[in-house]
Amino acid sequence: MKKMMELALGIVTSVGGFLEIGSITTAAQGGAIFGFKLVWAVLLGGLCVAFLVEQSGRLAAVSGHTIPDAIRERFGFNYYLFLLAVLALVTLLVLGSEIGGVCVALEMATGVRFQWWALAVALLMWLIIWKGTFSVVEYGTSILGLVTLCFVAGAVVLHPPWKQVAAGAVPTLPSHDRLRYWFIAVSILGASVSPYLMFFYSAGAVEDEWKEDYVAVNRFIAGTGMGFGTLISVAVLVVAALVFLPRGIQVDHYSQLGLILRDAFGAWGFWLVVASLFVACLGAAMEVTLELAYMVAQGFGWNWSENQPPKEEARFSLTYTAFIVLGALLVAVGIDPLRLTIFSMALTAATLPVAIVPFLFFMNDSDYVGEHTNSWFSNVVVVAIIGLAFVLAVVTIPLEIFGGG
Amino acid sequence: MDLVRDCLDKQLVDRHGRRMGRVDGIVIEIGGDAQPRVASVEVGVVTQVSRLHPRLGRFAARLARRWGKAAGDPYRIPWSQITATGVNVTAGVEAEKTPAFAWEKWLRAKVVGRIPGA
Repeated sequence: MKKMMELALGIVTSVGGFLEIGSITTAAQGGAIFGFKLVWAVLLGGLCVAFLVEQSGRLAAVSGHTIPDAIRERFGFNYYLFLLAVLALVTLLVLGSEIGGVCVALEMATGVRFQWWALAVALLMWLIIWKGTFSVVEYGTSILGLVTLCFVAGAVVLHPPWKQVAAGAVPTLPSHDRLRYWFIAVSILGASVSPYLMFFYSAGAVEDEWKEDYVAVNRFIAGTGMGFGTLISVAVLVVAALVFLPRGIQVDHYSQLGLILRDAFGAWGFWLVVASLFVACLGAAMEVTLELAYMVAQGFGWNWSENQPPKEEARFSLTYTAFIVLGALLVAVGIDPLRLTIFSMALTAATLPVAIVPFLFFMNDSDYVGEHTNSWFSNVVVVAIIGLAFVLAVVTIPLEIFGGG
Repeated sequence: MDLVRDCLDKQLVDRHGRRMGRVDGIVIEIGGDAQPRVASVEVGVVTQVSRLHPRLGRFAARLARRWGKAAGDPYRIPWSQITATGVNVTAGVEAEKTPAFAWEKWLRAKVVGRIPGA
């Protein structure tokens, strides 16, 4: 019974927590400029992340250790510190994007410029994390996050040509803007396959005290949760393709996002977008914050848990406080949230190799996962993802320069 | 036991299972004709930084002597108190009373404890 409940909650978490500023904007841009042609990138990203998240959860359930733990233990202090420096920098930009997303939602609702909201949003996040427990952060935002299903409803209401949507699952080159096409494809992949998501998931499994008998539960949650989540991203892309493409709107300003559901739901559509953006980005901002602090605390072996009062873990709670301040500053100084998002999603794709290569080692290490080591099939998939990650890492920066505009 | 694989960088927990840092270094005594002997494990920023580069380590040691909260960083735990258990390493000490918790206690008293709701 307890497990059924957790299963249900786990899937709600993955569905309600899937969308964030990165997946919304990259999918919306993809649909607005290239119609259904980039559906494959969303699906590929979802498939990769489902595999990696399943492995993160399995590692944590069997060993009680998270990915940063295992990286420090198996690859040593220097590699860990290198990874921390790279990921913390990129993840901090992602945090800025998420806080920016919350602020954009508030600007859309009130008309007050986004940067004025940064400190208020930072304070709200900090209060929830400071006073709340892991369940409050995880389930609270995820259950409210189910509002993002409005994109799926919107896609259905608009009666898209399903055959063409399905055809987008197979990559084809567009006749125009090829560099832009690849840049958005890379951003979509970076938005879905982000290291912070896997690291956070493994820490969550430890916070929720998963044990070895959760291996099956974990597999089910990772598969269905990420599957449904990917479906919502596809829905965003489909709606954008139907609404923006015919009107020539390229989503180069975040205020255009407010129009995305108007054809489907009229005036209500605007408020559904505002609510979705607010909840999804607030949830993601808190998860990213915690993940940054987890990554530091775990690597150095400090006491960490979102379930203990801050004074039981002073270093951990000050670390997340500092990250919230830094993330909010990025928004408060007025950096455009849309540009920051696109930039940080592509950069995330560039960091994937350093974060994913270690999986191949500890997912085959019986000291960690006991008899639950990767099957040959999972290993083949991880090797393929690593190959993809290396390609992304090499092409991202040139694409950022030539195709980002 | 393989020292680097099974001990170095492992999560160090105290006798109550409380996380108290990681095995940042291992001290081995080599003297005369006697066999090399594992003397202790080290915990602390100075040891961590030394692993990046010895010169950085000396610099960190100077800073630690000047500003550090932990007397005698790096903190050494005698090997006799260490047991490696699976993916963790247990030290038969009380984490709160060791220099490994000096910064934690200082921050708790001076900063976090003063913020409401902590």
